Amino acid sequence: MSKRQLAMVMDLNKCIGCQTCTVACKTQWTNRNGREYMYWNNVETYPGTGYPKNWMELGGGFDAAGDLQPGVIPNLESDYGVPWDYNYDSLTTTSLIDGSKEAAFHPHVSPTWGPNWDEDQGAGVFPTDNYFFYLPRICNHCTNPGCLSACPRDAIFKRDQDGVVLVDLDRCQGYRYCIAGCPYKKIYFNPKISKSEKCILCFPRIEQGLPPACAQQCVGRIRFVGFLDDLESQVHKLVNVYKVAIGLRPDYGTQPNVYYVPPTESPAKFDAEGRIIEGSTRLPIEELEKLFGPEVHHAIKTLKDEMKKRKETGVSELMDILIAYQHSDMFRLDNNYYQEVAKEQHRTPLAPVDTRYVAGKFTKAGGHH
Amino acid sequence: MNKVLTSLLSLGVACTAAMAADAAITALKVTDSLDAIKADSAVWSKAKFSSVTLYPQTAIYMNDKKANALAENVKPKAKKVDVAALYDGKNIALMVKWADGTKDIQKGATTTEYGDGFAVQFAGITKLPEALPYIGMGSAGRPVVVHLQKATEKIYEPNGNKDVGLQINRQQTGVFEKDLAEFDNKVASLANTDYERVFVAEGYRSLTEIKDGSVKSSSEMVHASNTWTGTLSRPLKDEYVNLTGTVPVSIAVWDGSKMNRNGIKNLSAWIAVNLDGQKPNAAMIAELTTDPKGNAVKGKEVAAANGCNGCHQIETTDPTSFMAPSLRFVGGYSSAAYLRESIVKPSAVVVPGYNRNAHSNTPWYNLEKGKRVSTMTDYSHLGKAEVDDIVAYLKTLKAEVE
Repeated sequence: MSKRQLAMVMDLNKCIGCQTCTVACKTQWTNRNGREYMYWNNVETYPGTGYPKNWMELGGGFDAAGDLQPGVIPNLESDYGVPWDYNYDSLTTTSLIDGSKEAAFHPHVSPTWGPNWDEDQGAGVFPTDNYFFYLPRICNHCTNPGCLSACPRDAIFKRDQDGVVLVDLDRCQGYRYCIAGCPYKKIYFNPKISKSEKCILCFPRIEQGLPPACAQQCVGRIRFVGFLDDLESQVHKLVNVYKVAIGLRPDYGTQPNVYYVPPTESPAKFDAEGRIIEGSTRLPIEELEKLFGPEVHHAIKTLKDEMKKRKETGVSELMDILIAYQHSDMFRLDNNYYQEVAKEQHRTPLAPVDTRYVAGKFTKAGGHH
Repeated sequence: MNKVLTSLLSLGVACTAAMAADAAITALKVTDSLDAIKADSAVWSKAKFSSVTLYPQTAIYMNDKKANALAENVKPKAKKVDVAALYDGKNIALMVKWADGTKDIQKGATTTEYGDGFAVQFAGITKLPEALPYIGMGSAGRPVVVHLQKATEKIYEPNGNKDVGLQINRQQTGVFEKDLAEFDNKVASLANTDYERVFVAEGYRSLTEIKDGSVKSSSEMVHASNTWTGTLSRPLKDEYVNLTGTVPVSIAVWDGSKMNRNGIKNLSAWIAVNLDGQKPNAAMIAELTTDPKGNAVKGKEVAAANGCNGCHQIETTDPTSFMAPSLRFVGGYSSAAYLRESIVKPSAVVVPGYNRNAHSNTPWYNLEKGKRVSTMTDYSHLGKAEVDDIVAYLKTLKAEVE
């Protein structure tokens, strides 16, 4: 266990599946050098196959006795999907309007699978009871990481100062046991360099007081970032005080540090005549129990109660937090903390160059609209 | 039918038990320089090949479900390889030949394929047979140097080379045709086609690559007529080893089609290589080439009487129900000295880690003042003859040869 733990909360009621986080991550980290197929951040449709395909069925994690469970390493083509590319070169030499049937411009492979192949399909029967929601996923920076336990080379470590789980690329020799050991399949094999790579929680950003790119870019403002032991952080309030944010698949035993506010709002079902069935909800509670364990009942009750309270009285700290007024409140990275860590290690800490980016020009620090 | 099968099986066990340790290998002294020796170098015609048995590693159970389910890995077999050695006064060279019908090369665009490979391990302590490092990558205070050669496609390691501009995806370069081809060429020039690594280790999980150039070695792998030929040359003396007289080496091979890598492999026990013309180390040769003098039949009884099977699975491997390493094939790759030490001084070699064997309720070691202390009972109270018998019994526990 690390000295402190940085955590992220994602409010699933607000995720619109726009993939801005995915793109923020991809352009920052994974669009090159053997990582093209990786999505350190992905947003999948639930219920669905997920990314990689059927990741929940691929093993890893720990059983009740604390034993690491064997797992399966997904296949690049059939489980992750080959990131196909186009021969843009051909556009400079061939005409697209000369009527030839054989397209000179085509993907380099005929794709058979890819992330979000089943986007927005969900489950149930349209229009009576079909449903789905979006599940954004990054590495959970677990307190008891399956990847770390599986590595026979001590190549994976959990940073003491904030619990970020990283791969020591110098030690990694590409055995891929980490991938089998991670129940979330959030560590990937880079076949080009023959080493494993994963979400680094944008540590070069957080050390400068900036949230991870996925959180910063999120247009739905569903992501909160902060230290779990920072009593002022909204992450702490959502996870420890209100207990409305729960780790994904806690039954895997890795103690994940990405927490989800479970989706509480789903439309009512229709009957055969297309009339609303009053009091019904499309989202089966069993699905949420499967994802978040029995704690989900308490979380949903608290959320509903606070929503009601807010409607009736206009006051609810929890609702104010979830409305996510200010980035400065949502992201408490405690920049001074990393500065202090740097000083302790006798290194020169770099102050964020762009103070306006951190504070904002037209926002009153700490105030709401 | 069942009966016939059973008796056949027990016959098999009997044969295995009778299998003796591998003989010492003689490294002939040559005048040719071995600096950059290749598989097809003429000097190999002078070398004398000896047979070495490589046993499946089963002490550590890895967590790859598919690999573990492969029939070849459920019932792993030992493998015979041919080894020859030469030395020129400055370098020692080894050639390893092993049958492998599938040429597996780790490709640059797949997550589920593995390359074939071989490794040669040298002991940092070479004089005292009883103090040889643990065969599985050494042990605390007893380092080993491991030379690894894997069959891979081009491997890119741009990290730290400040060539970030060449790491972008070719489609994002914004250039076409001639310029793009030029970009591709530059990227290709960064790639290293030779996956040759040297490591130093003092125990499982501690393997660390030597990257400062302090070991000048050269190895290669060539596949022809269903056989891999691996060659390695390295200095007789550097800051890690000083090889004279009788040199203990160990050899491992990996078969990519069996999803072999790291712990899923075949490895030999310490093998004695005598540098021809130098004074051999008689104690080392005796330790590595002769079977222990104990009585294996009695040893089995002593092991049962002392409750070894309370924690170890002795002739079986069921990873779900034991806390201590399975002893099923321990006799193949373990030296008698190591087995003896493990019985009377269980904390001498303790494998660290959290893998499948680490039942959190029944850990196989505790940390005391930063040192791993085995939870195994110390059996130093046993008489010398009893220990010898157990060792003789454990030495018979070997996988049958392919």
